[in-house]
This record gives sequence, C-alpha cells and structure tokens, in this order.
Amino acid sequence: MADPIGIFLTALSPVNVGLAFLGVLAGTVIGALPGLSATMAIAVLVPFTFVMDPASGLIMLGAIYTGAIYGGAFAAILVNTPGTPSAIATTFDGFPMAKRGDGDLAVTLATIASVVGGLVGAILLMTLSPRLATLALAFQSTEYFWLAILGLTLIATLSQGNVVKGMIGGMFGLFLSMIGVAVIGGDVRFTGGMPLMLGGIDIVAALIGLYCIPVLIGMVAGEGQHLEPAPARGFRLFEALGIALRDWVNLLRSSLIGTLVGILPGAGGSIASLISYAEARRASPRAEAFGKGEPGGLLATESANNATVGGGFIPTLVLGIPGTPPDAVIMGALMVQGIRTGPALFQSGDGTVYVFMTGLLVATLLMLPTGLVVGRYAFRFIANVPKAMLVPLIAYMTIVGSFAIHANPHDVLVMVVMGLIGWTAARGGYGASPIVLGLVLGQIAEQGFMRAWMIGGARGDFMGQLLLNRPISWGIVALIAATLCLPLLRRRRQGQLADVAPRQGGDVPGLVGALVFLGLAVWMILQASRLGAMAAAFPLAVAVVLAVLSVVQAVRSARGGPAPTLAPPSDDATGRGLVLGATMLGWALLFPHLGMFTTSILACMILTLTGQFGRLGLVRLCLYAMGVLIMVGAFYLLMVRVLNIPMPTGLLP
Amino acid sequence: MFGTTKLRRLIGAAATIVVMQAPAAFAWPDGPVNYIIPFNAGGESDITARYQQPFFSKVTGQDLIVQYLPGAGGAQAWSGLNGYAGDGMTIMGTNLPHIVLQPMLQDPGYATDDITNIYMFHFTPDALLVRNDSPFQTVQDVIDAAKANPGGVIAGGTGTNSANHVANQVFANRTGTETTYIPYSGTGSTESGLLGGEVDILWGYTTVAARQADAVRMLAVATEERHPLFPDVPTFRELGIDMVGGAYRGIAVPSSTPEDLREQLSDTIAAINADPEFRARMEADGYAMADVPYARMGEFMAERKAAYEEVARQLNRQD
Repeated sequence: MADPIGIFLTALSPVNVGLAFLGVLAGTVIGALPGLSATMAIAVLVPFTFVMDPASGLIMLGAIYTGAIYGGAFAAILVNTPGTPSAIATTFDGFPMAKRGDGDLAVTLATIASVVGGLVGAILLMTLSPRLATLALAFQSTEYFWLAILGLTLIATLSQGNVVKGMIGGMFGLFLSMIGVAVIGGDVRFTGGMPLMLGGIDIVAALIGLYCIPVLIGMVAGEGQHLEPAPARGFRLFEALGIALRDWVNLLRSSLIGTLVGILPGAGGSIASLISYAEARRASPRAEAFGKGEPGGLLATESANNATVGGGFIPTLVLGIPGTPPDAVIMGALMVQGIRTGPALFQSGDGTVYVFMTGLLVATLLMLPTGLVVGRYAFRFIANVPKAMLVPLIAYMTIVGSFAIHANPHDVLVMVVMGLIGWTAARGGYGASPIVLGLVLGQIAEQGFMRAWMIGGARGDFMGQLLLNRPISWGIVALIAATLCLPLLRRRRQGQLADVAPRQGGDVPGLVGALVFLGLAVWMILQASRLGAMAAAFPLAVAVVLAVLSVVQAVRSARGGPAPTLAPPSDDATGRGLVLGATMLGWALLFPHLGMFTTSILACMILTLTGQFGRLGLVRLCLYAMGVLIMVGAFYLLMVRVLNIPMPTGLLP
Repeated sequence: MFGTTKLRRLIGAAATIVVMQAPAAFAWPDGPVNYIIPFNAGGESDITARYQQPFFSKVTGQDLIVQYLPGAGGAQAWSGLNGYAGDGMTIMGTNLPHIVLQPMLQDPGYATDDITNIYMFHFTPDALLVRNDSPFQTVQDVIDAAKANPGGVIAGGTGTNSANHVANQVFANRTGTETTYIPYSGTGSTESGLLGGEVDILWGYTTVAARQADAVRMLAVATEERHPLFPDVPTFRELGIDMVGGAYRGIAVPSSTPEDLREQLSDTIAAINADPEFRARMEADGYAMADVPYARMGEFMAERKAAYEEVARQLNRQD
C-alpha cells in the first residue's frame, strides 16, 4: 500500500476538495430532479476526466454519484416523488412529515442519515473490500429470489389494514414488471402487440407517474397549500441530531444493511432501503407510526441508500463486476485511465484507488453543509411558492424527467398512464406503494427463481437448489418469516387485533377494482398459454394468485367488508383534476410532434390557470407567464445543452 | 419532416430567447455528438465506446457523448434509431448477431435492413470459460461430462437468442452434446454466476478472460487463429470443432443521413481504428479489431445474415 499520509494529502488538496464539492452539489441537484440520474450525469462528465489527473476525475465522479443518491431524498420528501428507485421508501415517512410542516426537519434528518450511511459504506470499502467481495459471489440466483421476496413482504406493512388489497396491488406490480421481452425464454409478453412495449415499463417512469400524478391531482383539487406553510426557522440541526443520536442503532443497522446489499451486483439501492425500512419498523417500539411520518423510517432508508454507494464499489473494484449502473460507468472511466480492477488494486503500490476512496469520504462529509443549504431553500421554495406556479413546475419536471431517462417519448406516455391508473386504483383503496414494490422487485424475483429452477432441474435437485442446500437462503427465509409474523404476534399479545367494524353498504370502488383485476388475471392466463414454458411459469403463478385474491376481495367488498383505510386522494376532485389529467395526457401525446419547448409552454399555461384559485390580476398573470417561460426555457436548455439529451424533431422546438 | 434541421435549430435558438451559439458552418460535426449505446453501462459495447471517446475528440475536435438506452436486448434503441435526425449528431452502437437474429426470431419493432450500419470496428470472439478451480481442464472434459449426463452441464451466458446463446447451440450441434443454457441479464451477472459456482461453464468472450485473468481459465476460442493475447489457448478448429464466431460491434446512423455524411463518419471511425494507441488498448483487453467501412457494409451484412440463418432456425425450433 502506498504511503497513507501522502494519500491523505493528495485527497485533501484544494483541487480535489473543490471537485468533490462541485460533484456533490451537481449530484444533489441532478438527483433531486426526478428522471435525471447519477448514471446520466456521470456519463456526460466522463470525457472531462480524461484530461484530469485520474484520481481527481474519479473523486468528482464518485462525488456526483453519492450526491445524486442523496438528492433523491428531496423530491421524495417534498413532492412524494422518488427520483430514483433507491428513494422509494423515503416517500413513506418523508412526505407525511413534509405535509404536516416538518419538511425542514425531514430534509435535515435525511442529510444526517445520508452522511452516516455514506461514511459507513466508504469506511467498509477502504478497510474490508477484498473480504467483503466474496459476499457478492455467495449470493446467487436463489438468494436474489429470496431477497426480492423479503422486499415484497413490505406489502403487508404498507397496505395498512387491508392486506388483500395490498397484495392485489403487489401482484399487479409483478404483472407490470413482466411486460416486454422475457430475459429467460426470449418470448414477447403482454405487449398487446405494440413494439414500443418490448422494452417493458421503465421503473423510473412508472415511479414518477404513480407517486407524482396523484399528488398533482390532489394539489389542484383543493385550495389549501401543498405543504403546511412553515415559519422561517433554522435548519433544526440540533433537533435532528438529537433524533438521530437516540436512534443510533437503527442508523448503524441500516447503514450496514445498505453496504451489504450494495455489494450484491444488480440488487442496489432500492432493495437496500426497502429492507432496512422493514427491519427498522420491525425493531421499532413505534412500529405503528411508520408510514405516517416517523423519523426512524426516514433515517433507515436514507442511511441505507447512501451506504450502497461504498458497498457498490466493492465488487466493482475487487471483482471487476460493477454493482450498479453508475459503478459501471466509473469502471469504464477507470479502464480508460489504464487502471485494472481486481484484488491487485488493493495490494499494489498504486495510490490512485486509495486517493479516490478518501475523496469519496471527503465528498460524503461535504454533503452535510451542501445538503443543509440546498435542502433549506428547496423546502422553503416548495412550501411557499403559490400553487399556480408549483403545479406547472412539478408537472413539467415529471414530463422532462421521464423523457430524459431514455430520450424516449414513449416513457412519458407510460408515466402519465401509470399515474392515472395509480390515481384511479387509489380511489378503490389499492395504494401505489405495493404496485411499485411488485414492479421494482418482479424481475429480480422472476429471474432468480427461474434460474434456480432450471439449474435445480439440470442437477436433479430442485429443492436443494432453491432452499435446502443454501444456508444464506435459510437466513433470508427466517427474516421473511420474522417480518411477517412478529407484528401479528405483537398485536395479538396486546389484544389489539380488533376487527374493523363492517361499513354500512358495500365498498363499491373496491368491488369494481377487484373485478377489473380479476379480468386482468384471466387475460394473463389466456396470454400466458401461448408462451413457452420458461416464459409462462411466473406469469401463470402471478395470475392465479391475482385471480384468487380478486375473488376474495370482490366478496369482501360486496359484503361491505372493511372500508378503504387509504384516504381517498380527494373527495372534491372537481373538473380541475380532470383538466390536469387531460393536459398531462395531451402533453405526452403532442410533444413528440409539436416539440418539447412549445408544448411545455402551452401546457404549463393551462396548468397555471388550473392551479390558480381565486381571481387572477393582470400583473400576477404576467408574472406567472414570465415564470413559466423562464422555468421551461432553463430546463430545456439544461437538457439540450448540458446533458445533451436529443429532443424529438417536432414542428417547432 | 418539416424543413431542415438547421432551420429548426435556428428557430429553436430564437424561440428560447436566450442567445445560443447558432450552428455556423455546415461542417460535421458542429457540436458534441451523441453516441447511444443500446445496453447498460459496463458491457463491451460501453467500454469500447469509452475507448473511442478520446480519439474521436482527437480526430474531429468535438466531444463524443456516450448515452445508454437499454431495453429488450438492444431492440428498444434500434427500433427508435430512424426517429432521430439524420444530421450525424446522433449515432448508435449496433451489435451482431443481435440485429440479424432478433428480427429473424420475432418482431422486435425493426428489420435488419432498417439499420444503416456505417462501420464495424471490432469483434469479440466467443470463448469457453471455466473457473480456475474447475475440474474441466480441456474442452474434451466438457464434452465427456455432457455426454455422460445430457443436460447436466450447466452453461451460462447473456440473454436468450444472443451471441452467447448461439455459441452454446453451435457447440452442442458440432459436438453432439446437450447442455443446459442459463440466460443472465448482463455480462456482470454471468461473471458472478461463474465465479460463484452457479454455472459450470460460461459462454463469454476473450474480453471476459482478459478482465478476469486471475479467476477464470479459457478452454478454447472461436477464432480462425489463436488470439495474440492467449497464445496457449487452442481454437475450436484445432480441436476438430468447426466453430468460428462472436459478436461484431459497429456504429449505425438514422436512415435519413445523407450519403456524404455516412462516408465522412465511416472515415472518422476508420481513422480512430487506425490509431496505434487505440489498437493497442483494445487488443490488450482481448478485443479483435475489425475494419468494415461503409463501402463494404452491404457485402459484409449479406454474408453474416447467411451465416446466422441456420442457427436461427434451430433456436426457433427449441421454443
């Protein structure tokens, strides 16, 4: 190993610290905008690092990555929209906190948790990499399958009161994850004959739609502010530090889970934060408060997802197997610099990697000041900007964000349609989170199970391959059992398993929903019968479960079973909600032909009027028009000029 | 569709009010060029694009910007290729056998002839890999094991109907054996499948052997002659197995791109390929250079299509 002091001094040189700071700042902003990802930002910047000192370039890329993962928390907390899959669980408690006026506290908590998680991940990366890398190889298809199932058990937690509806949502999410070309079997599934659906439903596009469109509809449905207006106050840093210190076990456990799951290539931040959320809830004495704005939930997810940054570099640097897409881009940059990944990297005299890891540590620490300042302004802005501006701004973000993922107009349409489906389903008591869990974990579960099945078949020992001979799987299965059973036991002991009083009359929206899902299940079974065995097995299983659950729910709804405990998004979803939905749909359909800039200006104008309550004076109207023009223009330029996203060639720009 | 792109760009500049640098000359490239890779980062397509990046700047004075558009084994990007403006500012990576096999086996939303390839710049030969501690020392050991227990030898590879899948099928045909093929969703996960012991053999490329030199052993390579990086590894032909193949990677442009621009792009990629530093870097990683310029593309594609037809029929029958 190279001289530690020399490494330290190099990593702390003004240039490197400056680059780390710029990287964190850029990453935080990119991460906060849904749809713009760390992968994209890093990929754009890689050519610039060719002319830099290798270590400096790497520090900047690493800083962007860690900043972007952290930045995802802003959109999750303030507008209920996870910008990346790793911020899904952040919405569960972050948004309720912001709703009740504690957005500043939530942002500060997320910052502290991210710094702690990032530090734990980076320190483990520096100290134990070669040892921990073997873990990446110990987890094979079977273990990935069980991990995905562990993530899916969260549905039981999230469906609050109506587990059947939650499971139906989860099955629907699994169905969505299977659309497109099957990796195993190669068959085309459930595309309805549309070539555009071959690539499947993009997870980020669906996330943006499912979480953000209902929020937007809710915003225009009523006159109140989006978030509780907050008085101008400090960062609430000491209050947050106090909460974090009291919950240090949770913080440490989540950081470790994040690092370990981050080591598994392909599992990444989404699973890490979901699992640590589930574990935090299981262990917490305030388990009932989770999902309603419990700081512990926020601490768990945010520390876990930033810990995956350090964790993900472990297989990348030791095994040459990138843990996440941003890791893969950084690995490419390393190879171009002539640096070979492998165990030798940690033994040889080459200090570049150690300088890079120290730089990552520095960047993580810099998140604290950067995040606090950015977060404070972001919160104040979102809480105080009038709805007439906020609605078009957020709507525009969802459109450009979902377009930016792949520079593909199809993703925008998917986003809007998923949003409308999510909103409709929520009216029937079928929440968005179980759908998202199914969608995010479906591919991991299916591919893991199918591979284990094929390998077990070839070795003539299916059960051995799936569970019996796999000690790590025993551990995960035990965790699954504990997650499912412990809350029940606890409640039973407390005698709280009270039956929800049957409501007078039937649950009509729930019944309609159940019948629609039953129809979907029948269609899936019909479609699956035309597929090869490898591609049909999982869809058939999901369809049968979905059919059974739908029948159960239909009967319960018809008998006036438990009322939907999920609050309906808004009771007076007047014409405004419809206008918003129609505008978004028209926007998605029109912009490839008319041009992104022009369509966005038109749509934002409509949405400004939709979000405006009360009389609109001329001065104010001009002000809003000006705001819309600046906002649309600025982001258009960011996309076209900075991120180089090719725009569709329409009539006008 | 409506007016030229230059015109649209000018209108764009005016409409966004902010004064932007209007494209002055008609020389290509007049700004950074988008290079769309139809896969996730980290694979061979991405790494080689990254290798081209600095040399592209050297040759043209403009940046090459790598973007990823993964989905449906590349089909998502290829089916959208002709929707981009044909001004040379957006180019896309293409892969063989993918762009031939996908349309043969199902409807991926594009036809092979929809893709205007302007250069094939390298080739990764198929390679049969095992772990360092594997009991299989030679290809014959694999054949013996597969004959003793048909389907009992587990082979890994990337995707279904992919280059790796084809290699496994050709190997089975030529040797009269049967293996179980397990598809993975990316090069990275195949490597962890092999190193973690989930599969017995792995269909990969020479590049995997070069990158994982400490952990894997290459039993044979599907080239005409031995690969310079692995002088001790026999070719399949030497072992009496008629198997030469792999994946070609190239660059394509939207079909609306004018002829002279296609020629110019082809020359640019050729100039990068001719750079000794670029060649040395590629070869050190296990890539084999290829030089198929735009002028010879028609002939080359016709030859490849004929070669893949037989295998495509067999893969189709398997379903």
